[in-house]
Amino acid sequence: MKNIIKTILLSTILFATSCATIVSGSRQSINVSSTPSSATVFINEVEIGETPIEKKLKRNQEYRVLIELDGYQPYETFISKEFNAWYLGNILFGGLIGLIIDPITGAMYKLTPKELHARMNSESAFSTDGKDIYLSVSMNIDPNWEKVGQLEKHQ
Amino acid sequence: MKQLTKLLFLTMVFGFVGCSPKITSNFSNPQPQLSNEEKVALLDIQHKLPENIVKVGELKFQDSGFSTDCSFNSLMNRARDEARKNGANIVKVVEKKAPNLWSTCYRLTIELYNYNGDVSSLPQYQLTLD
Repeated sequence: MKNIIKTILLSTILFATSCATIVSGSRQSINVSSTPSSATVFINEVEIGETPIEKKLKRNQEYRVLIELDGYQPYETFISKEFNAWYLGNILFGGLIGLIIDPITGAMYKLTPKELHARMNSESAFSTDGKDIYLSVSMNIDPNWEKVGQLEKHQ
Repeated sequence: MKQLTKLLFLTMVFGFVGCSPKITSNFSNPQPQLSNEEKVALLDIQHKLPENIVKVGELKFQDSGFSTDCSFNSLMNRARDEARKNGANIVKVVEKKAPNLWSTCYRLTIELYNYNGDVSSLPQYQLTLD
């Protein structure tokens, strides 16, 4: 019986101490919304859909986000990977296996928007709640487009 | 205490630099840089190169031993960035080793070309997000 308890205890220490993987997971969500909505979102030049949209991204990569809508200037930003402090939990709680597992799953990183403030207009914003990234973009009208008329709803 | 500091330091170094694949490049004929708006064709092994192209250089992606960000899509995305920086609009995979028992990484040898034509009309690999 003692051996079983020892085995369970050892297994728990070995496999349940990949701190960052357990706490953060290997993917992180990015939520993109825009004003006006229905703008097309590209991540690393791959079309993922129209705003508002949520996408789960692997934490061990970096991404270029491009938002396009006809008649508006495209909006571009970068999402980079930064060190996830939960990885240090492996040292504090003795999870040596976690030191290996967290880099493999990518959980030792957290995704963070980069260069956002420089590119944003006053009505755009981003926030992170520690887990997910929220990106809300107010698109600027493209000055090269000329308004020639407007459709009105038929009464 | 000193050992803990060392371990922390090593962890940080490993964390920041250890997980990227090793990239070797050789640009024999660099061209003017391309903007992000210009299309770059990603040609896998089975895709044929068009005629009248100029070779710009070569890239080699290898496993650094601690590489984790080394999926095919991720490497092709990096190759595309390198191609634009050096004025190439075709990324052609000439050697491809899939992950196996010895490495969890794709290992690629890539040639970069400049093509004076519409690259989006070429049969090519469609990048996806991992």
